[in-house]
Amino acid sequence: MKKQNNLDKITRKDAIEKMGKYAALTAVGTFVILNPLKSHASSTPPPDPGGQIFPNS
Amino acid sequence: MNTSLAPTYKRLFGDHWILWYDVSNSYSVIDNTFKIVLDYYLESDTMEAFEAQLILEGKTSDPTTIAHTLNDYLNSCNTLTVPSKKILVAIDVSHRSIAKHYAIRGQIIQIYYASELVLKTIHPALAHLSVEATASSDITFDIYIKKKHLYLFKNEQLITCVPQGDYHLMQGQFIMHLICLTHHKVEDDWIGTFHGSTITDGNSSLLFVGASGKGKSTLCALLVASGFDLLADDVSPMLSESKNIYYNPSAVSIKEGAFSLLQSLVDGFNDLPLIQFNKSKGLIKYMPCKPPKEDFYPCRGIILVNYKAEALTKLETISIKTVLETLVPESWLSPNPVHAKEFLDWLDTVNTYQLTYSDTKSVAQEVSQLFHQLNKN
Repeated sequence: MKKQNNLDKITRKDAIEKMGKYAALTAVGTFVILNPLKSHASSTPPPDPGGQIFPNS
Repeated sequence: MNTSLAPTYKRLFGDHWILWYDVSNSYSVIDNTFKIVLDYYLESDTMEAFEAQLILEGKTSDPTTIAHTLNDYLNSCNTLTVPSKKILVAIDVSHRSIAKHYAIRGQIIQIYYASELVLKTIHPALAHLSVEATASSDITFDIYIKKKHLYLFKNEQLITCVPQGDYHLMQGQFIMHLICLTHHKVEDDWIGTFHGSTITDGNSSLLFVGASGKGKSTLCALLVASGFDLLADDVSPMLSESKNIYYNPSAVSIKEGAFSLLQSLVDGFNDLPLIQFNKSKGLIKYMPCKPPKEDFYPCRGIILVNYKAEALTKLETISIKTVLETLVPESWLSPNPVHAKEFLDWLDTVNTYQLTYSDTKSVAQEVSQLFHQLNKN
């Protein structure tokens, strides 16, 4: 199913004005950068307060 | 401007743009304002020219901050990822203390474990596939610890070596090899392995994602008890050729908190062995499920699972941004540009939801209705 896009029609001038306000506030909320895992993994284990998961060998 | 920093792919999803950067294999979600100004920046000859244009437009008093924000953003998106070096390590067969055999699609896999503790990293999730020792095996794996590192070998060739605390990386590599063996594929055939569990109704599938402890596996076990089939738990692989999610033969791992709920719903749940791998993870049971009719199904929805005690069951549409913020950092996604494009193509076809639940009957009904609705489209 092709989804509908619902972009606000905003001019470049408006975007620059808005961006100027964002930039003054360190641009929080305007973008995120997401990096996938570099290698395969199962669920990440929680920290092990009981010490090492495996004994020394 | 240095257009080599520009994103390789740009896609509009609702009111968000998703950009993909080849150099870093990173996905960036931005709003329309940011996109317009970013395009303007990339069209400009130099940073100074961009700032001068902003002044001419007369809508900002701080063009330098905007230019630096965009420059820093593009640099962050273009941080080169250096693949880890392949090291050559000869196998040490003196660690072959325990041998187990498993039958998968007519193939016999033999795994040598160095100890009972090492065995707990892989065996409990595959115990339902174990068979008596045979004279010959098709593939042999070795798993052992040496100098605080966990080694995984396949047919005496090193697959991975990780610090022993990062055992989940070794498990991940093993699962990828298991999936490849199951479906006669190689790693390069896959778009990615999503961190999430996938359920099918026999027509299509739904991918359930969420942070650890949000109830993905428990929900999938409940849905299996309600008549759905499990396609994959924890690691859900998507094939490039078909864009379908494929069967992962591992059993579902169930944490102790869900035992009381499931023992009344799942036949034989009490008889499953208790596994304690480490103190922080607590007790776990691995629940094997019968394989689905087909090995693969198209996935029509991604559902962010949110178990909340006493909450009423609620399925609501959420943004692709919210889903990707959970899915991407926890998944392996192929850096191949063809696969990245296929991933974006697939995202364009799926619906994204959040499912809050506590009641088991109504959640199964809600998922059933969703399958019905998505299969009609």
